[in-house]
Amino acid sequence: MPVQITELTFLTYLAKRFKIPVPDYLTTEATGAQIRAALKRWGGKALAKPDILMGKRGKLGMVKNVSDGVDAQRILKSVQSTDINGIFPRTAYLVQHIPAEMEAYSAITYDSRFVGPAITVSLAGGMDVEDIAGEKKITLPIDIYKGLDAYKVDKILTKLECPQKAISQLSQSLVNLWDMFISTGMKMCEVNPWRITPEGKPVACDFKAVFDEPNFRYNNLDFSLPEYPVTSTFFEEEMSSWSTSSHQGQAHVSELDGKLVLPILFGGGASTIIVETLIRNGGEPLFLSDFGGNPTYERMYGTAKICFEHKLADANLILILGGKANNTLIDITFKAISDALRNYVDNHGPIKTPVVVGRGGPRLLNGLLILKDTLDSLHLPYVIFGPDTPVTKAAEYAAKFAKALKKMEHSNES
Amino acid sequence: MRAEKFGDLLKKGDRVAVSNITGREASVVSVASQKYCANIVGGWALGKGGQCIEIAGQKPIPVFSNVVELIDGLPRKKHPNKILVYSPPSAVYGEVKEIVEYARSTIETLFIVTERVSVEVASKVFQLCSRAGIDVLGCNSLGMINVHDSARVGAVGGDSPSESFRKGSAAIISNSGNMVNTMASYLQSAGLGISYGISTGKDALILTPLKSLLELARDDERTNLVILYVEPGGLYEKEALELLTNTDYPKPVIAYVTGEILQKYDISLGHAGAVVEGGETTATAKMRLFDDYFGIPPFEPNTKYKKNSELPVALKRGIRISSIHHLPDAAALVYSILGLEKDFRPLKPLSLNPWFLDYKGLGKHLPSNLVLHQGDTPSPYKEQLKILNKEVLGLSPSRRNMRKASYASSNDGSTTRLYGHSIEKQMQKGSFVSSVLLGWAGEVPNDFEVELIERCLIASLSNGPGTISAQASKLSTSAGNLPNTAMIASLACIGDVHGGNGRRAVDYLIDIFKEVGLDDPYSSTQKFDLKKIVDDEVVRFSKYRKAAKEADADYRRIPCLGHPVFRNDPVNYDPRERIISEFLKKKKIKNVFLDYYHMLARALKEAGIAKNVWAVNLDGAIASVVLGIYWESLKRKGTTVQRVRDIAFMVFALGRAAGAGGEFLDHQDFGSPMDMRTPVNECINLSRAKD
Repeated sequence: MPVQITELTFLTYLAKRFKIPVPDYLTTEATGAQIRAALKRWGGKALAKPDILMGKRGKLGMVKNVSDGVDAQRILKSVQSTDINGIFPRTAYLVQHIPAEMEAYSAITYDSRFVGPAITVSLAGGMDVEDIAGEKKITLPIDIYKGLDAYKVDKILTKLECPQKAISQLSQSLVNLWDMFISTGMKMCEVNPWRITPEGKPVACDFKAVFDEPNFRYNNLDFSLPEYPVTSTFFEEEMSSWSTSSHQGQAHVSELDGKLVLPILFGGGASTIIVETLIRNGGEPLFLSDFGGNPTYERMYGTAKICFEHKLADANLILILGGKANNTLIDITFKAISDALRNYVDNHGPIKTPVVVGRGGPRLLNGLLILKDTLDSLHLPYVIFGPDTPVTKAAEYAAKFAKALKKMEHSNES
Repeated sequence: MRAEKFGDLLKKGDRVAVSNITGREASVVSVASQKYCANIVGGWALGKGGQCIEIAGQKPIPVFSNVVELIDGLPRKKHPNKILVYSPPSAVYGEVKEIVEYARSTIETLFIVTERVSVEVASKVFQLCSRAGIDVLGCNSLGMINVHDSARVGAVGGDSPSESFRKGSAAIISNSGNMVNTMASYLQSAGLGISYGISTGKDALILTPLKSLLELARDDERTNLVILYVEPGGLYEKEALELLTNTDYPKPVIAYVTGEILQKYDISLGHAGAVVEGGETTATAKMRLFDDYFGIPPFEPNTKYKKNSELPVALKRGIRISSIHHLPDAAALVYSILGLEKDFRPLKPLSLNPWFLDYKGLGKHLPSNLVLHQGDTPSPYKEQLKILNKEVLGLSPSRRNMRKASYASSNDGSTTRLYGHSIEKQMQKGSFVSSVLLGWAGEVPNDFEVELIERCLIASLSNGPGTISAQASKLSTSAGNLPNTAMIASLACIGDVHGGNGRRAVDYLIDIFKEVGLDDPYSSTQKFDLKKIVDDEVVRFSKYRKAAKEADADYRRIPCLGHPVFRNDPVNYDPRERIISEFLKKKKIKNVFLDYYHMLARALKEAGIAKNVWAVNLDGAIASVVLGIYWESLKRKGTTVQRVRDIAFMVFALGRAAGAGGEFLDHQDFGSPMDMRTPVNECINLSRAKD
C-alpha cells in the first residue's frame, strides 16, 4: 500500500510548518462550546469531512455542510461512522468554510517525461485534473537541485490569466508547497482546490500526498502517519511486515477474489503475466504474489510459510511458477518452499493438493529435484516443467487442472 | 544520450567496474560475468580494499575501498568506462556523485542495479549524469547483454548467458529483467537470436527512456526486430510511439503489454514503476497506443495471415502480442512476411513439456487432455540430469551461507537444541549415544539402534597399545602434551587405511544395493535374491582381479573383508563383529548388509578367490550398522550419502578418541618423558652422507 496522507494530517502537522494557508479546523475531540464558538468565528458555515484514504469525497456525498452548533456534533458523528464501499473513516473533522471567487488546482509529482519533479497548475480547481482541458492547465518541470522559485510560478499563473491580486500570494504558497514536498520525501502532493478569497488570498481546502518510502526524509518525519482502519487482510498485513523486515528479495502479495490456485510466483514481470493468464483461464488465483529478487533461504522459507499457513487450506492446487531467473538461485528457493511445505504437513496433517511447477535459472535441476523429492515423500501429485515450457502455457495448464479438480469435488459432493 | 549506437552502451573491450562488489549478489554476478566475458577490471566496497574476488582459472578481481582508489590503483589502460552499481539504496547518490567527480573523463555508462532507490535520488542521478555526459540504465535494472560481442554487464542471462542468448537479429528492451532472459529463450523456437538484451529498470523513473533506446536500435545493423516488454506506469511508450510515427521508423516492433486484467484490482503490479499514475499510463492505454501505431489487431495464433498488400505494410511497423508464448510465432510471421532471414534453424516449438510428473493416481480422474506424459528434457539439462540421477539415493543438498546458520544446533537464549530437540530433554532421557546420533543425523534413533551403536563404540575404544592411533596418543603424551592434544594426535592417525575403511564400505554397499529395490534392511524377507547379488559380485570381482593381475596392476580390494590377525582359520571372524552379529541374532533382526558380507566371504572362498573364509572386520560391521540405521532416510532423501558415509567413520573415531584418552592418562601416570623416542642408534640410515 502506498504511504499516503490526507487533509487532516496536512492540517495537523504540515500546513503551519510550511506556511501554507489553510482553513481553521476542529476535530471530534472539540466540545460543543468550542464548536459553537468556532462556527461563530467562521461566519456560521463549516464543512464536516471524513478522514479517509479515498478521493472524490465531495462527489461521493461524504462532505456535509454544517451551519448549526448542535447539528455539527451530530453530523460529525454521522460522517465518522458512515462507511464508503465498506471502508470506514479514521475520524471526522470540521473545517471552516472559505468564501471564494475562484478555485485553483495544483499538484507536484515526479513526471516520467522530465525524469524529475514537475508542477501542474490550473485555475479550474475542484475538478479532477484529467477532466481539465489541456489548454487550461500547465505542467512545468522543476529542477531537482534548484527547486521551484516564485518567478517561475508567477509566469505560469500569468499565462493562465490568474487575476493579478491572487498571483503573488498563490505563487508564494506554491513555492511553500514545493518546500514541503521535497523536504518530507513525497512523491506526489495535490492541493485541490485552492480557494481564492475575494481579497486574493489562496487557502488550501483539500489535500492528499503520497510519500516515497525509500526516501530518507520520509523516514525522518517528526510525526507518525495515522493508522487508518485496515483495508488489507491479515495475510497481506503479515506479508507486508515480513517484506519490510529485510531488503533481500521481495515478498509482495495482494489478495484477489479467487478460490482455486495458490500461486507462489517469481519475478515482477512474470508474476503479473501468470496471474493474468490464470484469471483469463478460470484458474481463480487466491492472490497475486511476487517473490523474486534472489531471496535467501530464510526469506523464502518465511514467505512460503506465511502463504501456506494462510491459504493452503483454501486452495485446490499449488502453482510454483516463474520465468527463467537471472540470479535467483533455484535450489535455495525450492529447498525453502519444500521445507515450508513439509513443515505445514507436519503441523496440519497430510494434504492432497496437486502441485504444478515451472521454472528456469541458476542451479535449476538441483532445485527441481529437491522439490520433486519433497512432493514424492508427501505423496502429492505433481507436474514439473522446465524453462522450455512458457510460463503462460504452464499457467493455462494449472488453471485448467484446478478447474477440473473443482468439478471433481462438486461431483463427489453431489 | 551520449551513446550513438547500441554498441556504445556495451561492447567488446569495455572495462567494467562494480560498486559494492563484495556484496552477496554482486560477487556472484561478477564471477559469472567474468567467466562469460572477462570484462570486469575491478570493484570497490567500503572497508574491503585490498581483497580479491577469486575466480577459478582466471585472474582475481581486485577490490578497492572506493572509486577514487580504484582509479588511482588501476593502470590507465584499465580505467573503467562502464560502472555497475550494486550499492545499497542509501549509498547510491553518494557513489554516483563520486563517480562523476573522479571518473567522468572515462565513464560512459552507469548501470544501476540497486532496488528501492528513492525517486528523488533517481532524478538527481539523472541530472548529474546528463550534465556529465554519462548514460544511465536503471535504477532497478538487471543490466544488458551484447550477444554478438559476448559482453554483458549485470545479471542478464544468469550464470550461463549463452544458454538463452544466441547471436541473432532481435533486440529485447524490457521493463522486467527476468523477461529479457525468458523472451530470449522463447525466441529460439522461432530460429531467432538476440543482438542486444536490455533491462531498462522498472522504478517510477526510468532513466533511459524507451524512445532513446529505439533510436539506438534504428541505427543498429545487427538488429532487424525490436521486442518490447511493457508494464503500466509512465509515458515512455507514448513518447516512443510519437517518435516512431514521426520518423517513419524502419524496423518492426513486437510489443507485449502486461497488467490489463489487474488494473481493476487497483494494486501495484510488483514493480514500483508499474503503479498506475493516470489514464494515459495504464496498460489499456498503452495497448491502444501500440494497436493504433501498428494498425492491425493483436497477433492471433489461429488466424491464417495471408500475404495481401496490407499485411507487409502493417507488419513493417510490427504487431502486439497478447500472450508471451505467442512471441515466437509472431516473430516468425514478421520475418516471413517481410522476407527477413532467420538467424538459425528453429528449435522445437514451445509446448507443454513436463520434465517430471507423477499424478499419484489422480490422473485416472482427470480429463484425458489434462493428463500429460513425460516429456524430453532438453540439453544441457538432459546431461546434467544423467549426472544427478546417478545419485539415486540421498538428499541433494542446497547450498547456502552457513556462517551464522546451523541446522544442527540452536540457542534461543534459554534453550540449546540439537535439530530442534532440547539438550535438557535429551539429558533427561539419559542416552549419550542417542544424543550423539541426533546431533549427527538430525533424527532420534530407536533403542535398538542405540544399543547397536553403543556396541560399535565400545569395540572402537581400543585394539591394544600397538595400533597406530594408540601409539599416536602415547607419543603425544610422552612429549608432554595435554589430553586434548593426545586425543587429537590419535584422531590424526586414523584414516582410510586404519579405522576409516567403513567410509569405503558404505560406498561399496550403496553401490551394490542402490538399485535392487531394498526398502527395509532389517526385514527377514526381501524382494531380491541376495545370493544372486553375491554371485554377481563374485563374478565381477573375479574378472576385475584377474584383469588387474594380468596387467600387473594394483586393484581395489573389497573393503572391510579380511583382518591382519584373524586370518588363518578355515572360517575367520573378527570377534568384535561377532558380538554385533550375535546381538542382531538375539534380537531376531536381520541386517542385510552384514548378511551380504558374510555370504560374500563364503562365496569368495568357494570361487577360489580366497584361500579361506575372510573375516568381516569391525569397520565392515560399523558400516553395515550405520547404513542399516540410515537406509530409510537415504531412500526418502532425508539425509545425504556423504553424511552417512562420514557417520560410519565418526563412530569409529569417537570410540577411538575416547580410547586415546585412556592411553593418555595411563601413559602420563606411568610413562617417562620422551619414552616413545627411538634411540638414534636404533634408527636405520638409508642414505649415504654427501658432505
